[in-house]
Amino acid sequence: MSETKKTVHGIMAEFTSVDSLLSACRRIRDAGYTKTDAFTPFPVHGIDKALGIKPTKLPWIALVGGVSGTLIALTMQIWMNGIDYKYIISGKPYISLPAFMPVAFELTILLASFGAFFGMWALNGLPRFSNPMFTDPRFDRATDDRFFLYIDARDARYDSEGVRKLFADTGSEYINEVIEDDTPTKIPKPIFMVWGTMVAASVIPLLVVLTMRVTNSSQPRFHVFPDMDFSPAKDAQMSTSLFVDNRSMRPDVPGTVARGQMEESLDVLTGIDSEKLAQIDAPRADRLVRAYFFDDEVAKAEEVAEVTEAEGEAAAPSVMDTTPWVKEIPIKVDAALIEKGQQQFGIYCSVCHGLNGRGNGLVNQRAQSINSPTWVPPSNMHQDSLYSDKYPDGKLYSTITNGIRKMPGYAGQIKLRDRWAIVAYVRALQKSQNASIDLVPPSQKAAVEKAVADAKAELERQAAEAEKAEAERKAKEEKEKAEAAAKDAPAE
Amino acid sequence: MSLAIPNGLDNSSERPGERAPLVLGETTYHDITESVCKVAERPPGWGWGMGFLTSIALLHVLGGLILYLIYTGVGVWGNRSPIFWGWPIVNFVFWVGIGHAGTLISAILFLFRQEWRTSINRAAEAMTIFAVACAGTFPGIHVGRAWLAFWLAPYPSLNLWMWPQFRSPLLWDVFAVSTYGTVSLLFWYMGMVPDLATFRDRSKNKWRRMAYGILALGWSGSSRHWMRYEKAYALLAAFAAPLVLSVHTIVSFDFAVSQVPGWHTTIFPPYFVAGAIFSGFAMVLTLMVPARSMLDLEKLITIRHLDNMCKIILATGCIVGLAYGTEFFIAWYGQVPAEQFAFINRAAGPYWWAYLTMVSCNVISPQLFWFKKCRTTPWMIVVISIFVNIGMWFERFVIVVTSLSRDYLPSAWAYFTPTWVDWGMLIGSFGLFFTLFLLFCKLLPVINMAETKATLAKQEHMAHGAGGH
Repeated sequence: MSETKKTVHGIMAEFTSVDSLLSACRRIRDAGYTKTDAFTPFPVHGIDKALGIKPTKLPWIALVGGVSGTLIALTMQIWMNGIDYKYIISGKPYISLPAFMPVAFELTILLASFGAFFGMWALNGLPRFSNPMFTDPRFDRATDDRFFLYIDARDARYDSEGVRKLFADTGSEYINEVIEDDTPTKIPKPIFMVWGTMVAASVIPLLVVLTMRVTNSSQPRFHVFPDMDFSPAKDAQMSTSLFVDNRSMRPDVPGTVARGQMEESLDVLTGIDSEKLAQIDAPRADRLVRAYFFDDEVAKAEEVAEVTEAEGEAAAPSVMDTTPWVKEIPIKVDAALIEKGQQQFGIYCSVCHGLNGRGNGLVNQRAQSINSPTWVPPSNMHQDSLYSDKYPDGKLYSTITNGIRKMPGYAGQIKLRDRWAIVAYVRALQKSQNASIDLVPPSQKAAVEKAVADAKAELERQAAEAEKAEAERKAKEEKEKAEAAAKDAPAE
Repeated sequence: MSLAIPNGLDNSSERPGERAPLVLGETTYHDITESVCKVAERPPGWGWGMGFLTSIALLHVLGGLILYLIYTGVGVWGNRSPIFWGWPIVNFVFWVGIGHAGTLISAILFLFRQEWRTSINRAAEAMTIFAVACAGTFPGIHVGRAWLAFWLAPYPSLNLWMWPQFRSPLLWDVFAVSTYGTVSLLFWYMGMVPDLATFRDRSKNKWRRMAYGILALGWSGSSRHWMRYEKAYALLAAFAAPLVLSVHTIVSFDFAVSQVPGWHTTIFPPYFVAGAIFSGFAMVLTLMVPARSMLDLEKLITIRHLDNMCKIILATGCIVGLAYGTEFFIAWYGQVPAEQFAFINRAAGPYWWAYLTMVSCNVISPQLFWFKKCRTTPWMIVVISIFVNIGMWFERFVIVVTSLSRDYLPSAWAYFTPTWVDWGMLIGSFGLFFTLFLLFCKLLPVINMAETKATLAKQEHMAHGAGGH
C-alpha cells in the first residue's frame, strides 16, 4: 500500500518536556489553529488555557445523576413501605422520612458517581479502540515520558507544509503525519467465538428458569435442601421414639412454676386448713406438703384421687366431709377480685352452670336436648347444700381445682388466685339470688326498693300486654274461623 | 528531567522554606514507568509464588467451608443462642473497616491536596476493594439460606409479594456496602485507566497488548480527555469522601439502633469510623512496608509516606481510646443498670482477656508512634500495625460477643466458643484477600504512574522556580 492512498488525519510533533510542550501550544494557538490537541502521559496543568480548551459540563451530568438518585430512592421507599406494602415498625408512621435517609443518601452517591464516571467516558468518546494516533509506534511513549502536539487536517488553516514548519520552529525533533489506521476492524475469530459461546451459554439457565415458570407439572417440585423445606423438628401432638412416653411435647420440668404463680401458703394452694389437718390427720398433711412443695407426683395423684373419687360414697362420712376446709377465702377479697372472678366464671363456668349459676348453661341445654345418657347435670349453685355454712370456701376451691363427678379439675386452665376469685364471685352470686332487703345499706334501700318496684311494674305491664295481645289474637282467630264458616256454609 | 535529593533517601524531615520531596533519587518520568511496570513485567519471583500458592490454598479452604456450610446449615458455626451474630459478623465488620483506608486515602486526602497519597493510593484502593469482597462474603452466607440472599434486593418478587423493610439498619447496610464497593471499584478502575494504557503501550506480546488495550478503553492521553478525567476524578473524590464516612456509620447502626446493652449508644458512628480508618491504615502499612522493599519501590513509597501514615494511626488510635473511655463514662453517667452491667462485664467479665487484648493493641501500642524512631523504622511499623490489626479484630469481637452473650435475660446467658469452621473461615478470608492482592501486584499497575509523574513535574517546576525560572 502506498502512502498517497491513505487518509491523512493531521500532523503530530513530539516534545520531551512539559515546558517545551506548553510554549508550542501557545504558539499554535496564537497562530490561529483551533482543531488541536495535546497528548501527555499525565495531566499537564495550564494546557487547557494554552490550547484554548473549554471547561466541561460533566458536573451537571453528575448533578442530574445525584438528584435522580435521591428521587428514585425516596419514591421507591415511600411506595414500597408506605403505600404498596405497609409495614408497621415500632409505631413509626408509614412514610417515615428519617428512616429512609440512609438509602436515599447511598443511592444519591451511587447515581452521581455513575453520572461522573460514565459521563466522563461518554464525553471523551471512549472506549474507542481504533485511533489513528496509535498507528505511529513512537506514539507509544505518549503514556510514558513523551508529549505530543497534534493539529487536525480539518482545521481551516491547515496546510501540511506550514504546520511542519511551525512545529520545526518550536524545537520538536520528531514530526510525522497521522494516517488512517489500516489494521483490520474485524474482531479476531477466537475472541468472537469465546464471546459468542459465553453469551449463548449464559442464556441457557435463564431459559430453563423461564420455561419452568410458565409450564405446569404434575410432579412435586424438586427440593434442593429438603431438610429446610421439611423441618425434622417435631410439631405439637406428634409422637416420637425419642422419649419413653412417646410424646414429642415435653411436660414441665419438676418444680416449674409459671411466672407470677409462686405461692407459699399450703392453705391457699389446697383450700385446706393445714394446721387443723396436721392435728387430726398428720399423714395426709405430710402428703400434702410432699405433693405441693416437693413436687411428689405420686402424693399429688393420691391426693387428687381422694378428693375427687370420695364423692358418692354416701355411706360413711367421706374425706370431703372430714377434711378441715378453709372456712373463708384466705386471700384479700375486694371489688377487683370479685370482678376478676366474674370474668373467669363467665369464661370457664357459665358454659355449664349458666351465667346465673342455676346449672342451665348452653352445654347443659344441648346435653338435655340430645338426651345424652352419660350426662350428669351441673349443680345449681343456689341450693342450701352449696352455701358457705355447708360447703366451705376451701371445699368450693378444691372442687374447682380438682373437679367433681363429670366436672374436670380446672387447675391447668385457671390461675390459682383466679380460682379463689371465682369462689368469691360464686358467693356473691349466691347472695344475689337469695338475699333479704335488710342486707342493703339503708342509704341505698330506697333506690333498690324503687328499682324492684319498677322492675315489678315493668314485668306486670309486659304480662298485661302479652295477655292483651293473646286475647286479641284469639279474638281475631275466632273471627276468621267464623268468617270461614260463613263462607263455607252456602256451599254445603 | 532529574532532581537530586541532597539528603539521600531520607525525606522524613521538613527543611524550612521547602517542601520535602515525595519522589526520591535521580528520577525521570521514564524511571517511574520502568520501576512500576517491571513489577508486573518481570517473571514472578520465588517469594511471590510461595505467597500465591499459600493464599490460593487458604482461598480453597474458605470455598470448601462455604460449601460445607451451605450443605449442612449454619449450625457448623459456634453461633448459639443468644450469640447469633458470632464470628461471621465480627469478620464482616473487621474487613469492612479495613476497606476504609483506600477510599479515605484516595478521596479525602485528595480533597485536602495531600500529595503524599499519590504513590500509595492505588494499592490502598485495591486493598479496599478486596477487603470489601471479603466483608461481603460473610453477611451473604450468614443469612442462612445463602441462595436466597437476593431477597435483600427490592425487586418485584412473584414468590414473596412483598418488599424489603427499609426501616431496618440491616437493609441500609446492604445499600451502603454495595454502593461503597461499586463506587470504590469505579474510582479504582478509573484511576488505573491511564496506567493500563501505559501497560498496553509497553506490551510486546500481541495478546497482552489486546487485553490491556481493552481494559484501557483506548486511552490516548488527549488533553481534552485529561481535563474531563480530572474533573470526574475530583467529583468521584467528593462523592466518595462522605460515602466512606457513611458506610461505617451505617454498619454501626446495625448495632446502635438495636436495644442490646453495650450496643445502644450514640457514640457508635464516629467511634466506628475512627476505628475503621485506624485499622485500614494499619493494614495498608502491614502490606506496603514489605511490598515496597520486595518490589523495589523505595524511591516512590518513601519513609515520609510511612511516617505520615503512622501519624494517622496515632491520631485515630487516640480517638478510639477516647471512645472506649467515653463509653464507660456514659454507661456510668446514664445510670441504666443494664448498660452499666454490660460495660463492667465487658472489661471484667468472662471475656476480660479479649478486652485486655483490644485495649493493649489499640490504645497502648500505637503510642509508640510518638517516637520518630518508631515511625521511620520499617520493621517496627510492621510489628505495631499487626498489633493494631489484631486489636481491631478483637474490638469487633468484644462488641459483638460480650454484648450478646449477657443481655437482659440472665437465664439465657452463654459463653461463645468458636468451632473449627469459624477459625477456617477467618483464616480462609485472608486467603481470598491475599490471592486478590498478589494477583493485583502481578497484573496491574501497583502505583499510580500518571499522578506520580505529575507530582514529579510539580516538584521540578518548584525547583526551577526557586532557581529563578
